[in-house]
Amino acid sequence: MVLAAGYLGFGALANGQFPLWAALLSTATIFALPGQLAMLEMSIAGSVPVIIVLTVSLTAARFLPMTVALLPMLRPAERSALSLYAAVHLLAMTGWAASMRRCPELPLEQRLPWFVGFALTNWIACLLATAVGFWLAESLPPLVRQGLVFIGPLYFVLILTGETRTRHGVVALACGAVAGPLIHLAAPQWSVMLGGLIGGTLAWGLVGAKRRA
Amino acid sequence: MQNDVLELALLIAACALATYLWRGLGMLVSGRVRMESAFFVWAGCVAYALIAGLTARILLLPTGTLAATPLPERLLACALALIVYFVLRRNLLAGIAAGFVALVTLVAAR
Repeated sequence: MVLAAGYLGFGALANGQFPLWAALLSTATIFALPGQLAMLEMSIAGSVPVIIVLTVSLTAARFLPMTVALLPMLRPAERSALSLYAAVHLLAMTGWAASMRRCPELPLEQRLPWFVGFALTNWIACLLATAVGFWLAESLPPLVRQGLVFIGPLYFVLILTGETRTRHGVVALACGAVAGPLIHLAAPQWSVMLGGLIGGTLAWGLVGAKRRA
Repeated sequence: MQNDVLELALLIAACALATYLWRGLGMLVSGRVRMESAFFVWAGCVAYALIAGLTARILLLPTGTLAATPLPERLLACALALIVYFVLRRNLLAGIAAGFVALVTLVAAR
């Protein structure tokens, strides 16, 4: 539901930059809002495709620990690996958080069906929201369209400030928020990637140094 | 035109693969690696900084549709959204709705 609001913003943002099929295809196949937003913004800035793909990949690295944490809970006794590989494609923040909460309460054989049902519903809702956002941006007055596009970044400001718990995470947010715009002034095509690498490494060094001291 | 379509489809496909890679890798290494290792902590920091940097950049130096709205209005609407979000105990939907209404109202009132 809330993730769908984010995709409403993505659809509105994509309008005028990407055709509708491309916006939908990215939601269906990538299904990770930060990566899609990075891809959209970087294509507009005219980045080299290789850099776009690398950056998107960096924003998706969070899925590795998420998958590792969730899988032991989902894995059925007979380990049908192929269906699990299909299921993890649907893994995204919302479905993951909900599954981590709900799955321990369910019997083992019901967990995978529950996860797939929940994640698939999410996925379809996000596809619909992308299309609705796209169409709304076309038919609404510019003022409302600006509001819709504003939802995208707003979603991340709230989620990031509200849900980041670790000290590493908080420092990385601060470093990134400063580094991103600053580097954008110097090198717009590289800013997303460089901002993340420099800001993230800085935060990692800062927190690490503090621990050792 | 035909080339543009192909290029865009390829870009999206590559980005999708690059994203799925991590989910698939997670499947492979599940139960075999320590998540607290320095590398994963660093990768987490980079991911946080990356998305924070992109978000801050869109808010401060937007391109496209948002560029038509003035900076003070964007920041004020963002601050209002944060206040509503935290006052209502991290209600994301209420926060987003507040930010949306605030931006539209502020820009209209200008």
